[in-house]
Amino acid sequence: MKIPAFLRLTIRNVVVNTDMGTMIFMLGLPTLYLFVMGFMFQGIVPNGLRINQNGIDIPYTTFLAPGIIALQSFTAGNIGGGMLWSDRRWGMFEQIMVGPFRRFEYLLGIIFVSIFFAIVGSLIMLAFALAIPVSFNYTLIGVITFLLAIVIGTILFSSLFLIISGIAKSMQIYQTITIVLFFLLDFASTSFYSITSSTPVWLVYIADVNPLTYISNILRDSFIYGVNYQTFVSLGIIFAGMIVLFAISMRVFRNIRSGI
Amino acid sequence: MPENYIEIENLRKTYDGKKFALDGLTFNTVKGEIYGLLGKNGAGKSTSIKIMTTLIGFNSGRGSVAGYDIAKEASKIRKCIGVVQQEESYDFATVENNFKLAGLLWEVGREERDSRMSELMDLFGLEEIRKKRMFDLSGGQKKRVQVAREFMHDMKVIFLDEPTVGLDPIMRRKILDYIRQKANKGLTVLFTTQNLEEADMICDRIGIIDDGKIVEEGTSSQLKNRYGNLRTLTIWIGNDSIFSKEDIQKVFSDIEFDELDVRDNVITIITKKLEKNLGNIMSTLSNNNIQVERINVENPTLDDVFIKVVQK
Repeated sequence: MKIPAFLRLTIRNVVVNTDMGTMIFMLGLPTLYLFVMGFMFQGIVPNGLRINQNGIDIPYTTFLAPGIIALQSFTAGNIGGGMLWSDRRWGMFEQIMVGPFRRFEYLLGIIFVSIFFAIVGSLIMLAFALAIPVSFNYTLIGVITFLLAIVIGTILFSSLFLIISGIAKSMQIYQTITIVLFFLLDFASTSFYSITSSTPVWLVYIADVNPLTYISNILRDSFIYGVNYQTFVSLGIIFAGMIVLFAISMRVFRNIRSGI
Repeated sequence: MPENYIEIENLRKTYDGKKFALDGLTFNTVKGEIYGLLGKNGAGKSTSIKIMTTLIGFNSGRGSVAGYDIAKEASKIRKCIGVVQQEESYDFATVENNFKLAGLLWEVGREERDSRMSELMDLFGLEEIRKKRMFDLSGGQKKRVQVAREFMHDMKVIFLDEPTVGLDPIMRRKILDYIRQKANKGLTVLFTTQNLEEADMICDRIGIIDDGKIVEEGTSSQLKNRYGNLRTLTIWIGNDSIFSKEDIQKVFSDIEFDELDVRDNVITIITKKLEKNLGNIMSTLSNNNIQVERINVENPTLDDVFIKVVQK
């Protein structure tokens, strides 16, 4: 059976990235967040920390779980987009480009591996969350919205990291940018905390432009509060962000000539 | 099938719009030929390979690889070539997975993939390290994997950009023998190296590239005849016969030579006309009671040719 070029590249990307380091980054860290942070915060209030949002009162662990699942789109995008940097650094970008592949097939290979990791990672984190346990409501529209948000979010973050991979001139620059983004986007979002009237205004501004905020909110709507008009607005916002970043990443990618 | 497997005509390439990395490069190779592209650092070897493998564009000229136009039929060319880059290139995986992934990417069937992998691992001495990750290998081992992996798929033309750098002499010889075997079966090889002895051994024809164009071309012996006709005669004289350079120059005053050197009891004569002069030299030594213990004649090497051509 003939396997399409982009799929061969996707399989290659999965094999190359299935190592202990990537798995720890992808699954270990969010699991720690979920269990350690979840239970620690839960435990600092005598009767357990509860978050009241949209008029619904839920335990902090239930609030946290969708945020942690949303992080999978960020980490998978980081792994996928980072592949370009890694391939450029270790000579595989040129090696692939002199093989039977076109540039857009290489790009598809990266996007698809990111989506694959994001979906698998999300389902694993969902299973972990159920073990806490959390009380989620499952509806067909909720599951579809969850998958859509993860896929759109992953393409958005893959594009972001493709841009960084395309312009970073050294390992130090690449790593510094990704670490700063990791902390900024992870923690200045609604993944871990809800935005309240006490949240500093400047943090609210950052959270408002942070795609992770929207993805976390969509997942909470999907599993807890119910899909509503605001959910679709959030989906629209991250879709628009994805289009813009993908277009920029294509432009950067087109201009990449050789290795680092 | 085209007669010329690589055909390059008047190729010009500039990166900055001022200096031309390639400035009228012209050469061709036929099927099954090993063509050596020799040149000093920055002469344009790697740029030529990048253009021929369709990795980068060019400003003017034309060319074809395996009958396909390098400007218009890039995707067809990429399906029938192999490339071993000068720089490291490998996946962050085990040696074995690097081979399997190469097979997957080139659509080699599973059974064929496994049998080729075993054959290549055996040939390139990689069996012992097949489970090791690339990160844990030495430079020479990585290079072996890089070269061997490229033969996982079938191809019409292979571009080898300094493929033996960092390899020990035994492995280098094995790789060169393997390339020769492949060429005998019809594979066209474009080979660059800084090791001229190696080029002398393996290349059917050699092109010397300087300032972005071929300045000399021919078989190794044609080049040596053209440029390296100086031969070196070394004479070891008996320990009792102590002479200065001036004494020897006087003795050989009637003989034509290009260079003469005397160190301890060794006389070195470099001349274009050794056949004509050898008899005279020996009789002169005998007439002057200089006892000869041993003589040695060295033919010109490709190094001599290369140095003369690029310093012209």
